Amino acid sequence: MEYILDVQNIHSFIGQYHILQGVNVRVPKGSITALLGRNGAGKTTTLKSILGLTPPREGKVIYEGKEVQGMRSFDIASMGIGFVPEHRAIFRDLTVEENLKIAERSKGEYIRKKEFIFDLFPDLKRLITLPGTSLSGGQQQMLAIARALVADNHLLLIDEPSEGLAPVIIEHMMKAIQLLSKDSTIVLVEQNFLVASQLAEYYVIIEEGRSVQEGSMKDLANDKAAIHRYLGAA
Amino acid sequence: MNSFLRKNTVLLITLADITALFIAAAQGMEKKDFVITLLRGLAVGSITFLVASGFSLIFGLLDVLNLAHGTLFMIGAYIGWTVFVRPDTFVDLLTPLALILSGFALRDVYPLLATRIRLGLSMKRILPWALILVSILIFSYILPRYPISFWDIGTYGQSPVTYSFLADQGTRLPAQVALFTEISAPLALIGLLFASIIGAFGISLFNIETQQQFKLNWKNFIGFAILLIVALFVFIFNESLTTALTGLGSNWLFLIAVVVATLSGAGLGALIESTLIRPLYIRPIYQLMLTLGMSAIGIEIVRAIWGRPEFVMPKPAFFNGSSEVCPAANFADWWAHNCSTILLLDGRVRVYNEIFIPIIGVVVLISIWMLLQRTRLGMVIRAGVQDREMVEALGINVRRVFTMVFSLGVGLAALGGILAAPSMGLSNAMGESLFLNALIALAIGGLTNYPGAALGSVLVGLIQQFIIKYGQIGIAIPFTDIIFKPTPPIVPASTVLLMVIILLILPNGLLGKKE
Repeated sequence: MEYILDVQNIHSFIGQYHILQGVNVRVPKGSITALLGRNGAGKTTTLKSILGLTPPREGKVIYEGKEVQGMRSFDIASMGIGFVPEHRAIFRDLTVEENLKIAERSKGEYIRKKEFIFDLFPDLKRLITLPGTSLSGGQQQMLAIARALVADNHLLLIDEPSEGLAPVIIEHMMKAIQLLSKDSTIVLVEQNFLVASQLAEYYVIIEEGRSVQEGSMKDLANDKAAIHRYLGAA
Repeated sequence: MNSFLRKNTVLLITLADITALFIAAAQGMEKKDFVITLLRGLAVGSITFLVASGFSLIFGLLDVLNLAHGTLFMIGAYIGWTVFVRPDTFVDLLTPLALILSGFALRDVYPLLATRIRLGLSMKRILPWALILVSILIFSYILPRYPISFWDIGTYGQSPVTYSFLADQGTRLPAQVALFTEISAPLALIGLLFASIIGAFGISLFNIETQQQFKLNWKNFIGFAILLIVALFVFIFNESLTTALTGLGSNWLFLIAVVVATLSGAGLGALIESTLIRPLYIRPIYQLMLTLGMSAIGIEIVRAIWGRPEFVMPKPAFFNGSSEVCPAANFADWWAHNCSTILLLDGRVRVYNEIFIPIIGVVVLISIWMLLQRTRLGMVIRAGVQDREMVEALGINVRRVFTMVFSLGVGLAALGGILAAPSMGLSNAMGESLFLNALIALAIGGLTNYPGAALGSVLVGLIQQFIIKYGQIGIAIPFTDIIFKPTPPIVPASTVLLMVIILLILPNGLLGKKE
């Protein structure tokens, strides 16, 4: 199998806290891979370590065959990684359109991708001139994903897309993510096991800063013991 | 309409209060006094704004409290003065300065060079220090021997005070051409270039990130090439350049002084950010100590070079006419005779101090606003003020934007300095008092809010000037015979009082947003 991203035994610290103590994540090209685990297990830190926002002190991050650990974040992102962070991080002082434009890595990208983005999220089109502050949670999540689509990204890191959203909107979001996975590889952090199990093909379970189990989602769905032990869900 | 009212309640109430105060103030004094005081307030506000806006941009994006901002304002004034009053010194300085900076212009090349050097661990630790030491030794040998026509703060007849006075009278002392006597010219030039390169290389070795992607191309050498060309050009045509500059009218010279001061401020800012501040982003307390120290050092440097006494900077001829028709009766009249003062409602208004400076203030306010709202750089700055990490995660080199913003901020302060010099005069303390004003203005307006910086600065300027005016004419306290005259110490106290009141009601300032 061809892996677009191969995280090998990374150790990351936040301040003096040893958050990641050996995480391995392999992401097959073109798949959706879910990072599962309880609150505070280190899923978000894993995403940030991949991007170099929380640079790992040990281990390797190999993206498209190239070691990227230790590189500067914006250089890593420029290689084609889109990031949709937890809590969306919409820029409040920018309009919706500016929030999209700022993600351009070359001139005119936004104009070219506009149609595709508004097909995916028709709501955004009529909000285009509003400031980022005035959006609802669901709209912010759409904007955050749309922002990651402006540049030519081959890999999307999406953190908690369903958090705090109404069921109808979650469904809409899931459809969008499924559509996106046709063109790009997606790494998904998701608390909601139902959402994750419907979307992802592969999974990695992270427990107390270590990756403890990985495999295909279909197998996990039948492995009630693992679900109960690691995720606390029935 | 209703939502507009609700959202801007605070602003509307403030504006209503200010208008009410103005109407009250206008009742208490003659119309011409009121207009002049208003204009003076706006002028002080404009200068304050130039310092405050730069400070707030830097703080907003970089989280660096640049305590040296007032000192950099002052340095801008002194640099501008030098260009204006002693163009010969300025021309002499260009060559060595360009050579000293040329090494830093090669900064993108050094990391590549560093990866080629294979040394033991202990040697690696010593190498940067050794390089810097050698560079300092060479500098300290060449620089004192490099010929620069200079003033002498020790003798009164040769001091900046005298030169300023003479320039104001329209005469300039015959400039003495400095010649290479103590050191040969080629040795000096090559020595400076060499020392600059190894010094900059040494400094760059301190903060090399572990793995960087570097492709060498011609763009990395542009800055270096430009500096070398400038250095050589000025070296060869030194005399004719000096004659040309001295022969220029004071208007052109003033314009050049403003541009040079602003650009040197910007350059100084870029240099400070990339060498001193950058290693300290993870240690905020050290930043405070560093900028505080820079502020003290800057003041001492200015004292050592320009001396302690205060002196004035002559105004350019455009604002300094004094024929029989002056003061001008109206603006057409002023345009024809360039009078230094103009009559507005029978009051004499100084054109430079009270009309030109506020206009420049408004121009800068609008241009920076356009930069922030209409350009990609502005968009990145606005986004970065809120969430640096996310901007970086989008693939944007935030560090480079940091350098630009720091440079922009310091450039604005230097612009403020040179603009203030002809009206305030130059003194070692001019930075401190203005910096305090700027901090108060920012606290009033909202620390990282650009319109807030403008509003706060204008308020501070107006309050000060009105209190000063009332100190002269007195306030009649209603229902009594007492006439209260605010004493000078009340002037700074009044702005602090205003700040305290506003912060008690609105902890984030007038336009600041809640975090």
